[in-house]
This record gives sequence, C-alpha cells and structure tokens, in this order.
Amino acid sequence: MAAVWVFVEALNARPENASRIRTAALVAAVCIAAAWICGGYWYLHFYPPEKALILKGPWPFAHNLFMETKEHLFFVTAILALLLPIATRENLYSNATARKLVLSIALLIAMTGLAVEGAGAIIDHGVKVALLDSESKGAR
Amino acid sequence: MASAIDSQPLKLTAATAGFVLAAAITVLVNTALACTKDAYAPLKLFMKSISGHDWTTQGLFDLLLFVGLGFFFMRIRVAEKIDPNRLIRVLVGAVGIAALGLALWYAFF
Repeated sequence: MAAVWVFVEALNARPENASRIRTAALVAAVCIAAAWICGGYWYLHFYPPEKALILKGPWPFAHNLFMETKEHLFFVTAILALLLPIATRENLYSNATARKLVLSIALLIAMTGLAVEGAGAIIDHGVKVALLDSESKGAR
Repeated sequence: MASAIDSQPLKLTAATAGFVLAAAITVLVNTALACTKDAYAPLKLFMKSISGHDWTTQGLFDLLLFVGLGFFFMRIRVAEKIDPNRLIRVLVGAVGIAALGLALWYAFF
C-alpha cells in the first residue's frame, strides 16, 4: 500500500510533496522489514505442519509451486522496498529519470507484492482443501 | 515553480545508480541460488547449518549482497557511467526474469 502511495505521489512530484514521498518510501521499507521478521517467524515455526497437510492433500502444488515461488519472490519485493527510500532521495520534481525509476520500483513492489499475497491465498486454500479432504474421508 | 511536466531527463546520483545495479544483481543471484539449492541438496543442507534454516540464510545473504554491492558500486562509481534509462530497464528485466524464472522452475522441476 505504501508503494502505491509512493507511485501516486511520484506521478505528481512537486517540491511540496517531496518529503511525503520520502516518508511513504520509508514506510514501505519498514513494513517489508516487519513482514520479513514476522512472516519469517511464522514460516519457520508454524508452517511445517501446514506443509505436511498440504502435501498429503489434493492440492500439493499449493506448496510445491506457490509456496516455493512465494518464499523466494518475497526477497525480490523486499530488496525493491529497501531500494525505494534510496531512490526517493533524488529530486523527483526536477529529474524525470529519477521519477521514472521511482515509479518503476513502486510498481514492481506492488506487482510482486500482489503475486506474493495471491500465492498466500492459494496456500491457505491448500490447507483448507486438505483438511476438508481428510474430514470427508474420516466421515466415510 | 518546478513541475513534473517541465522537468528534463537527468542522471542519477552515484548512490542511487549503485544501489539500483546492486538490486538487479541481487534479484538475479537470489533466483539462481533458489534454483541451485533446490537441485543440489548438499547446498541446502549447508545453508541450513549456518542459521538453522536455508530460507533464513538466503535472506541474510541477499541482504548482505545488496548492501555490500550497493556501497561497492557507489564507491567505485561504476553504475553512474551506465545510461540511467538502461539501468531502469536492467532492474525491470531482472525482476521479470526472477519472477518468471522462479515460477517456471518450481512448476517444472
């Protein structure tokens, strides 16, 4: 969300919103760092049982394809989010190239972030269908 | 008053250019490392032995690589000499290759 905020502000870069752009970029970097630590803790401590469920269930691709891609694509989003505050130190209102760079980075963060979120939804559904499947087998 | 419309294309500072190039390289190395450790189990085990989990080691490695390369490129001012528009294309291309590469790797291998 902060990356989208940077994108919109950078589209209308002026001296008046320069500090707001830098703040939004910093928010994006801090949020991704928090997601890295909190998500990483969850992934390392609570995901293994979910993984076992998914692999035994009808949607093993929820782990084999989506989780494997997500956990490594996250690093790409994270690096881009850490790059954003550096790029926004340029004077975007007077440097069209720097503005283009910031717009590109913000857009890439939003796109890869959405891909990571979407993969997360499929992984969650992989657990759900695995549980439903074991429940229905138990009921028979 | 300066506006977004009347501004002209300009160069990037040594810090920005250096870290953009560092980000592009880190993103590609991250993808290559993910595929290599997936195909070569001893590497995955080695990475696991460093921090307790291969994912944690890879994250720390990416972070160190990005920061290290960023400061290195900034110091030697190499990225500054590259056309900024080309640098942007390199970054976008690297992210595209990384995303597609990871998805295709885990889909077919």
